[in-house]
Amino acid sequence: MTIHEKTLIDPDRLLTSDKLVVDGVDVSGQWNTMILPRTLKDYDPDFQNVIERYGGAENVHRCWQCGSCTNSCTMYALNTDFNPRYWIYLTLLGLKQELLKDRDIIWQCVSCNKCTNICPKDVRPEGVMKALAHWIEDEGYREKSHSSLFDEEFTRQCLDRGRIEDTELMTRFFRDTRQSLVALVRRGWLGVFVARMGKWPLLAEGHLAKFLARVPVAGPVRMLAHRLFKPRTQSWGRTGEVLRQYVQEQKEAAHA
Amino acid sequence: MPDTVLVVGAGPTGLSAAAGIAAVGKKVVLVEKENILGGAPIISGYARLVPSGEWAKDAIGRMVGRVEANPAVTIHKNAKVAQLDGEAGRFTATLTNGQTISAGAIILGTGFTHFDSINKPEWGFGTFEDVVTTTQVEQMVAAGRIACPSDGRVPERVAILLCVGSRDRQIGREWCSKICCTVSTNLAMEIKELSPKTDVFIYYMDIRTFGLYEDKFYWKSQEEFKTKFVKARIAEVTRAPDGRLLLKGEDTLVKRPIVIPMDLVVHAIGMDPNLENPQIAKVFGVGLERHGFLDRGEHYTNTFSSTRRGIYVGGAALGPEDIDSSISHGLAMALRAVGDLGALDHQAA
Repeated sequence: MTIHEKTLIDPDRLLTSDKLVVDGVDVSGQWNTMILPRTLKDYDPDFQNVIERYGGAENVHRCWQCGSCTNSCTMYALNTDFNPRYWIYLTLLGLKQELLKDRDIIWQCVSCNKCTNICPKDVRPEGVMKALAHWIEDEGYREKSHSSLFDEEFTRQCLDRGRIEDTELMTRFFRDTRQSLVALVRRGWLGVFVARMGKWPLLAEGHLAKFLARVPVAGPVRMLAHRLFKPRTQSWGRTGEVLRQYVQEQKEAAHA
Repeated sequence: MPDTVLVVGAGPTGLSAAAGIAAVGKKVVLVEKENILGGAPIISGYARLVPSGEWAKDAIGRMVGRVEANPAVTIHKNAKVAQLDGEAGRFTATLTNGQTISAGAIILGTGFTHFDSINKPEWGFGTFEDVVTTTQVEQMVAAGRIACPSDGRVPERVAILLCVGSRDRQIGREWCSKICCTVSTNLAMEIKELSPKTDVFIYYMDIRTFGLYEDKFYWKSQEEFKTKFVKARIAEVTRAPDGRLLLKGEDTLVKRPIVIPMDLVVHAIGMDPNLENPQIAKVFGVGLERHGFLDRGEHYTNTFSSTRRGIYVGGAALGPEDIDSSISHGLAMALRAVGDLGALDHQAA
């Protein structure tokens, strides 16, 4: 079992100036290395309440730091910096800055729920991990995750038109996640796609007509048409507007 | 033949013993050094008791009233035993008020002394007005208002430091005082009840809310009253330029030094051996164990015996003890003492 150890000197607390002269003495380079104090100065007692208002984190205040969550954690086994017990403690005390140092890994929780099953105080750490990941995104401490971007576009189309247009969803997803569709195709993405549909053997065996006949045509044409005309579900009317308002109200109620 | 038991100390232990002896028709002489009965809960003005939640003055008050109203109990206040002669079955005690008492058996319910926080100067007691003890906070709760002694403001942040005068080899307190964790979690809830906006932090090494106190006090204070538990033993208490107190220490779970502002710092003081134990041991001819509490004899078949025949010892005189257990000790010792008197009657017949 790996013992969780933190280095006492974080890289971001090391200060070194390339050029520094103090009282006429040149202390450039390694000679002026300073370590910023790592003292915790205060707690933010409201932080726990902020996190508890996210669904799933309602019981975070119950934690007594036994470490069962971390010890059972799938992610911790791969990366000992992934430490739910530690983040829960930081949440309870309101040590946001410490927590944000791990902003790039907190979202990696795979929701296996082993922690939630083993927790003796029913803290439900899996829910806390989700809440923390959402908070980090909501506050803009991290770019929105690909899944959040996908969800947003998906929801927008649902509410606007009562239906999803696959082409539009995927092109916008690639655009929002700054993935170039052309680059993906160039890298052979389309080829892999077609190969997985089991068409290449026809071509390899020289059956060009059969191959073309089985390449989907009608679907893409329809998709292109919908990309231009954007049909709505029949009688969709104000449904999307009403749903959007309801979701907004629920969110405001939860985070009031 | 004496049909009297001498009970020394009128705290929960002594009051319980006296009532038990009187209930089976024997006589009691109850000797108390203070001018009021009730022991630490009354003299120190405790608020609500653990675990009943009853006010100390009501609960212990009933115990006092029951003994005072009993004609079989003779009470000597402002008195101590100055000299003891005789042996088991026929003791003669001379009190400081000149009275002489004949007794067949003796029960010592001489209790403890609160740890004096002045012995841990680094934690600021006696230096800063806003550093207080759990006893003082008990008194604040009993009076219905939590305030910083320096200027009377209601504290926004309260820190309770556990193990003050307990589990500390440096000052020769190599014991756990047993009740401070529970008392502190209880106080945290009472502070929150009186001042819902106050944040209460408990700085601990371990939390030892034993038995059923676990969920009724520790869990409840954490889950319902949002008490924050920080695993750190504070190194020193200082004062910030703005007059607030600063706690310095290491948060061992974050592995970071901490310097945290607080309005009120509370020492969860432990239970020391009664300061007078050396005299008590000398007068009664009983032994002290290595921490300075009264020593016990063989417990399995000679229950609550001291090291001297005919003298019983129980409650916090034996070591840190809670009120409920002390009351049980008192009643158990009553049975032992009354049994001794019965044996004397039997021999005489």
